[in-house]
Amino acid sequence: MSIEFFLDGKAVSAEPGQTIMDAAKANGIVIPGLCGDPRISKTTSCFVCVVKDKKTGKFLPSCSARPAPGQEIEVTTPEVLDMRRTALELLLSEHTGDCEAPCTIACPAHAQVEEYVRLIANGEFEKGLAVIKERIPMPMSVGRVSPRFCEKQCRRNIDGKPVAINEFKRLAADLCYDSFMEEIPADCGKKVAVVGGGPAGLAAAYYLRLQGVAVTVFDAQDDFGGMTRYGIPEYRLPKAILSKEVAHFAQMGIELVPGKKLGENLDLAELKAAYDAVVIAIGCWKASGLRCEGEELATPGIEFLHSVAVNNNTGKNPGRTLVIGGGNTAMDCVRTSVRLGSSDVTCIYRRTEAEMPAEKIEIAEAKEEGVKFQFLTAPVKLEKRGTKLILTCLKMELGEPDASGRRKPVAVPGSEFEIEADTVISAIGQGTDAPAGVPVDRYGNLAVKAENTTRVEDKIYAAGDCAYGARTVVEALASGRLAALEIAEDILNKAMPAENSIFISRGSWQEMSQDEVVVLRNDLSSEPRVELKFIPLEERKNSFKEVCATITPEEAASEGKRCIECSCSDKSDCKLRKFADEAGCRKNAYAGERQLASYDLRHPDIVQDRGKCIKCTVCVKVCKEVVNQSLLSLQKRGFQANIGTAFNQGLPLSCKDCGACIESCPTGALDWRKKR
Amino acid sequence: MISPDIKQIKIGLVSCGIAAGGEAVYEKLVAAAGNIPVIKVGCLGHCYAEPLVEAVLNDGSSIFYGNVPGKDEAIENILSLGEAGRFSVPEKRREKECVKVLAFAGRIDPTSFEDYVSGGGYDGLKKALTMPPEAVIEEVKISGLRGRGGGGFSTGMKWSFLAAKDSAEKVIVCNADEGDPGAFMDRSLMESVPHQVLEGMLIAAYATCAAKLIIYCRAEYPMAIANLNIAIDQIKANKLNIIDGREIDIYIKEGAGAFVCGEETALIASLEGQRGMPRFRPPFPTDSGYMGKPTMINNVETFGNIPLILREGGAEFAKVGTEGGRGTKIFALAGDLEYPGLVEVPMGTTISEIVFDIGGADPEKVKAVQTGGPSGGCIPKAMFDTPVDYDSLRSLGAIMGSGGMIVIGNDRCMVETARYFLDFTHRESCGKCTFCRVGTTRMFEILERIVAGKGKVEDLDTLEELGSKVKAGSLCGLGQTAPNPVLATLRYYRDEYLEHVNEKSCRAAQCNALVDIVLDQSKCVKCKLCIKSCPVEAVSADFIIDPDKCTRCNSCVDICPKHAIARIPKGENK
Repeated sequence: MSIEFFLDGKAVSAEPGQTIMDAAKANGIVIPGLCGDPRISKTTSCFVCVVKDKKTGKFLPSCSARPAPGQEIEVTTPEVLDMRRTALELLLSEHTGDCEAPCTIACPAHAQVEEYVRLIANGEFEKGLAVIKERIPMPMSVGRVSPRFCEKQCRRNIDGKPVAINEFKRLAADLCYDSFMEEIPADCGKKVAVVGGGPAGLAAAYYLRLQGVAVTVFDAQDDFGGMTRYGIPEYRLPKAILSKEVAHFAQMGIELVPGKKLGENLDLAELKAAYDAVVIAIGCWKASGLRCEGEELATPGIEFLHSVAVNNNTGKNPGRTLVIGGGNTAMDCVRTSVRLGSSDVTCIYRRTEAEMPAEKIEIAEAKEEGVKFQFLTAPVKLEKRGTKLILTCLKMELGEPDASGRRKPVAVPGSEFEIEADTVISAIGQGTDAPAGVPVDRYGNLAVKAENTTRVEDKIYAAGDCAYGARTVVEALASGRLAALEIAEDILNKAMPAENSIFISRGSWQEMSQDEVVVLRNDLSSEPRVELKFIPLEERKNSFKEVCATITPEEAASEGKRCIECSCSDKSDCKLRKFADEAGCRKNAYAGERQLASYDLRHPDIVQDRGKCIKCTVCVKVCKEVVNQSLLSLQKRGFQANIGTAFNQGLPLSCKDCGACIESCPTGALDWRKKR
Repeated sequence: MISPDIKQIKIGLVSCGIAAGGEAVYEKLVAAAGNIPVIKVGCLGHCYAEPLVEAVLNDGSSIFYGNVPGKDEAIENILSLGEAGRFSVPEKRREKECVKVLAFAGRIDPTSFEDYVSGGGYDGLKKALTMPPEAVIEEVKISGLRGRGGGGFSTGMKWSFLAAKDSAEKVIVCNADEGDPGAFMDRSLMESVPHQVLEGMLIAAYATCAAKLIIYCRAEYPMAIANLNIAIDQIKANKLNIIDGREIDIYIKEGAGAFVCGEETALIASLEGQRGMPRFRPPFPTDSGYMGKPTMINNVETFGNIPLILREGGAEFAKVGTEGGRGTKIFALAGDLEYPGLVEVPMGTTISEIVFDIGGADPEKVKAVQTGGPSGGCIPKAMFDTPVDYDSLRSLGAIMGSGGMIVIGNDRCMVETARYFLDFTHRESCGKCTFCRVGTTRMFEILERIVAGKGKVEDLDTLEELGSKVKAGSLCGLGQTAPNPVLATLRYYRDEYLEHVNEKSCRAAQCNALVDIVLDQSKCVKCKLCIKSCPVEAVSADFIIDPDKCTRCNSCVDICPKHAIARIPKGENK
């Protein structure tokens, strides 16, 4: 006799003995649960699977409760979902671990760093490249010019230098780019126009193409790559390398149309009519002025770099050169000036070196190449005297911190002085040259609807620098990918993949002690970081040759052993993370004490991590009821309750390493010690 | 000189009497009493008067002596029936109490089978054995007896469920895992009249055709276990355990002290040798309990009522009490009152009768009463007219529980009270259910922050939200009731919480972080005792207390002979 009852008002029937969860599943409603396993008796402990009995008002664990005839069960009402979310948030509040490694969290594209480093170190270059390209579709470029957000958060910083993560990207891409090709699905019948062929536009095109969308990319320049081609100098990113990447996009079936500029020979309204969606990724090409008298006499930095790029890395010797600004563009300008033959290049910056936004390595390399720096100096007037330019400057001193947290430079009265130069380049910032008819925000960037979206208005998306101001290549790629996902959601009705918003982290290395860094692998290398091979300094100063070489596979193999492998061994199938993501859990809803991470590494192959345990006791029952061993038990009471072994002696010799407990663990509290 | 009128002398020497120093009194009495028998008896419930000695006279009357010191003069005074130190039950208590279940307690030697039998013990069992088992259950149903362990389920109904099971291996368990702080009714009954509990169990075994009787008693009750074991041996010697030709197995299982084992499915797991953790019901224990056998669990006091019901009949029993509960209820009174101890009153007696008339608490100094221990809630003084029975207490957000009643004075902080109870329950969670294990911990942490002056006003909403979810999302009674003290204090004393979070002030001057210790110079006689007693040199040579150094340890407050030093809520000194 089947039992008739109601699930969210819908009449359903259950077989005798079926739980509410089983009956719901049979009717297409999957109720999440963390503490069940079909092979063992009920644990009824996690309470994530709660449902509500409408009549009695009682919440029932659906994994254990059986329906009664006529019972009205609420499964997806807001109240039930709230209760379920609270159960998960409480579990998260006592959960410690690293859902993702700090490098992945720091990466703007959230690339699976640990995975590609391991693959590439093991010589699986093509697989490693595939992992990289899941998030970074221009790995040859990023592998050369990335400011290495990942490495700054690498926990190896605690005891020395970070793993040379970016070199792995470059190696795998350099080795495999010719042979590597993505699988492109059949055309889905939708087409998208991308305006702007820089990294953001190309990334949007790339990820749309992987959905079977027909994509056309328009660019105002003669060639593709945007700022990576016309802004980043040859010695950092050779044009031949970039062209290889651009060619790859074309090979994927992405149509690349050069020489088309929005508002000139390209009309937004027409694009909107002709395509299912339009991505605007036009970058930041408007240079900011010096904001002082005579500013028009200065050469804008991006124009300077552009002219060198289009002239095949040639140009006239700029003579005595002053570059004003402290960012990466300023560094590109000073180093390019050196390469054009100038022997007297000075960077002028109004704060000190510590406040410079440019990458430390860029500053160091510029100094090596003979560039001089004049800090705490601000231009007040530029004028022409004869053939020379005269820049009048003021001495500055650092005052109170400003909105950016950096100490604000304050002029020292009466400290004016003059510097004579042949060329003055302004590199103090870039803005968006927004096309007509698109809404802009107060900074002049295209106005997206909210943070973390690229949606502007119906069918219009904005990605990359033009949506948020000048930033890095990898950020542009991430933004382009987001645009592609959002478009797929909007025009293909494809749900966006869960972006794993739950990043439980043990913290950043800056606030950790060495003891707190958990090392599971027993072959961690203590070798120093791989040394990059630079071309001779004279060659650097006199040519646009790439300054350093790609590391070798042997170097990668050895460098890979320096990776701590911080991320949770169970991150790909952790049920807690999955359900918490699905339930929209807040990260720190109920802050409080956590059980200290206590790793039990006494077993050679199995690691027990109490900080990750949610005390569901499934492992206890599996070992007892399935394996017939009873090697694990729940011990202590209250918040201190945890899974332990007899007399805390660790897993005994009688443990056959069958792994049943590991397979059944919903989190990474029990796992194989060696990551696969 | 020993008075010739004395027939025998009784002294209360179960746990409470021993704790009060009764053994020394007993030794001296035995040495001095000559031929007069000195008998160790159980507890009369007057904890405040222990050690309590009764001189039984030849005419059958008695003279009591309370708080008897173990000194020769005191012994001589008793033996000569002196006037000093005489004790009589406070008049108001005598009017209100109704001693039925505890009638034997403190009157007989708990280890004497004959004492129990001669007072009418086992008459109930005898009578039951003359009736068909169904008639016995019917009698229990008529009595209206409801489970005294806290749940309040009809005992007769419960018995009928077990009786209906077709099994030769039915089990009856006496739940003697009395774990509420401040509750000691069951202990006292088992120590003082173990046979009464066992008689109730034997009657149940007959009525339901059970084969095994187990008493699950916490190991912290050694005397209850000792006295019960003596009584079990006596039952076996007298073959009272052979019913209808069946030999009933009776034994005690000692619990290891987990509060959660008072919950029936956790108790069964513990009996089976498993970790004491509750499980989902159904199956209910009557379908599948101890070792999968049909099992029924009743509380100690519930069994203690059974012989009475059989002796006087269910209808007579039901004449006492109210609609919400029949018979009497034993309460353990503790806290800020004059006469702490055990008291048995008819169901429906009001809280104010119990607290003021019987307990002797000062109405001016009382703020609230906590019923049901850590699982219960507080009831403010304004509601003391409420009659005590299962349903009315529940409607106030409290519970009857097993019968603990803690009187809370005006100088107690309600936030601290809630924190105190949650400190207990959050540690005693078995760790199984997420809401109970983590939820109560998070609530406890919030309360710790509030009493430390670090609370925020949003914390109160979080407490209420989490509290109701913990209640709804826990498998057993522990989690389902653990938030009660917090929710009840939030309901009735929200203003105290708000003062803690908004004004960083504790009106009861109890929370150390929100209290200042001040010295009233006008009362000070400059004796320097405060300076000497201070462990952190916070009192200066000119008698000023440095609030930054002071740890609020109270040494100076306690030692000051002129009461010139006081704890006051922070901020009131300005």
